[in-house]
Amino acid sequence: MKFLMNTGRTVNQGVTVENKGSAEYAREASTCFMHGFDMLELGVDDGDPVLVRGPAGEVVMRAEASVEVEIGTVFVPYGPYANHILAADTRSTGMPDFKSHEVEIEPTDEEPKSVYGLMEDLGGLAYDR
Amino acid sequence: MIVKDAVCPFCGCLCDDIEVEVEVESGRVVGVTNACDLGATKFLGGERLKTPIRREGKTWKEISYDEAIRYAAEMLLDAERPLLYGWSGTHGEAQCVGVHMAELVRGVIDNTSSVCHGPSVLAIQEVGHPGCTLGVVKNRADVVIYWGSNPIDAHPRHLSRYTCYAEGFFLENSFRDRKVIVVDVRKTRTANIADEFVMVRPGGDYAVLSALRAIVRGKTDTIPPTVAGVTRDQLIRVADLCLNAKFGAVYFGLGLTMIPGKNKNVRNAIELVTELNRHTKFTISAMRGHYNVYGSNEVNTWMTGYPFAIDFSRGIAFYNPGETTAVDILARKECDAALIVGSDPAAHFPRKCIEHLAEIPVVQLDPYPNATTAFCSVQIPVAVTGVDAEGTAYRMDGVPIRTKKVVSSDYLSDEDVLTRMYVLMQEALKR
Repeated sequence: MKFLMNTGRTVNQGVTVENKGSAEYAREASTCFMHGFDMLELGVDDGDPVLVRGPAGEVVMRAEASVEVEIGTVFVPYGPYANHILAADTRSTGMPDFKSHEVEIEPTDEEPKSVYGLMEDLGGLAYDR
Repeated sequence: MIVKDAVCPFCGCLCDDIEVEVEVESGRVVGVTNACDLGATKFLGGERLKTPIRREGKTWKEISYDEAIRYAAEMLLDAERPLLYGWSGTHGEAQCVGVHMAELVRGVIDNTSSVCHGPSVLAIQEVGHPGCTLGVVKNRADVVIYWGSNPIDAHPRHLSRYTCYAEGFFLENSFRDRKVIVVDVRKTRTANIADEFVMVRPGGDYAVLSALRAIVRGKTDTIPPTVAGVTRDQLIRVADLCLNAKFGAVYFGLGLTMIPGKNKNVRNAIELVTELNRHTKFTISAMRGHYNVYGSNEVNTWMTGYPFAIDFSRGIAFYNPGETTAVDILARKECDAALIVGSDPAAHFPRKCIEHLAEIPVVQLDPYPNATTAFCSVQIPVAVTGVDAEGTAYRMDGVPIRTKKVVSSDYLSDEDVLTRMYVLMQEALKR
């Protein structure tokens, strides 16, 4: 199913932002907040993994119902999961379209990767000490 | 020991009423009063990097500060087109050294405003900024509009210190007398406390702003039954609230800058405020994110003439957002080295940019391991400004505030590290 993905700040994202290697940060930044009806249609429950595909690639997140989100849209806290699939085009402003990307979402059996797992996919090296 | 009136180095509110309890024996912060969750967590700190680290193949090696600083200086000197990025998570004095350094190596210096309120700066350059300090809003505003911003999550004390729940000198009962309007595409937690919540269809902010401008201009009969999902009746109600305000204040967030239209959305919001000023007093300001992102704009502007995205490759300051901004330079695979200070682009930039970071030498100054650490050739841990280093930061309304050092540590500050790098670079260029 197609959705419009919005990203933004949440308190939990802000509280864990200085500890990006933590499970709490990864959990928050990989949460895909959705409307309950859309989740019904997709056949996913709270905490189920979903594959989110955007213009730059795909990433696994976990779905969570939210009363703040409208049907047809999803909200993902700022962070490496949403950015993994966003296009870098800035339309000559310096600013990518962080809050308005069309994405495709489907249920999956895969688990979300860790933040360093995502970074290693892009050529980085985990620092886990 | 209690440190009073400490300054919180998290968001642009730069709250200066924090009480920090420090355990004298260990020199650690053990309690924080008055701060929000975000600020308290920052003061209490996490697991910091203990020494500089250097990537060697598939492993990390601990190295000395001298070696790390030498590596960083040589990396910038050897580069053809270095990018110096970040700067919003550090103090103004360090930002000054960064600008000098960028000029010395003819690099590009950009700050995180290019991915937050850069478009707002572009709009302000087009039509100006009818703003004011937060104190004026606190004491006078009887209508406050949060447009595309969600302070309960991003600036939790903005409401209690300056708007909804703050006492106002010229308001008899500010909680009752102050009307709060929230405009957003989501029914956020801030929307839940609004007197009037305007839910806009995604991407419809420009049209709603234009409709409000038309009503304020007396052209109500031109408004269709709905505009981007907002009913005509509600638009008229919101316009009336604004027109009847004694003093109104608009605070806008990334909900205007990160959607199509970007700077033009902000321009339209500023022009709505200009229209309203024909009838009453109204101001507009950006909800700045990092505690000193405003400072990075200020420092860059008074040193180079431009607020961000400054390219010194011509030997003079050149500014062209969309070309000289960090995301564009990385996405075009243009820079051949990157110095990152006080930010984490690997967590906050699109994938294509990060893929290029993996291909070039990167040095990062940051107290904590973060996503960008994975791409570092060298990371240098530094003191946290406002915790174990002091320095000047600019609040979201442009007021400079000196952050305090509440504990002592052996970590060098950003300014110390950058100054040592800069001295090495000057010496190398003299030879």
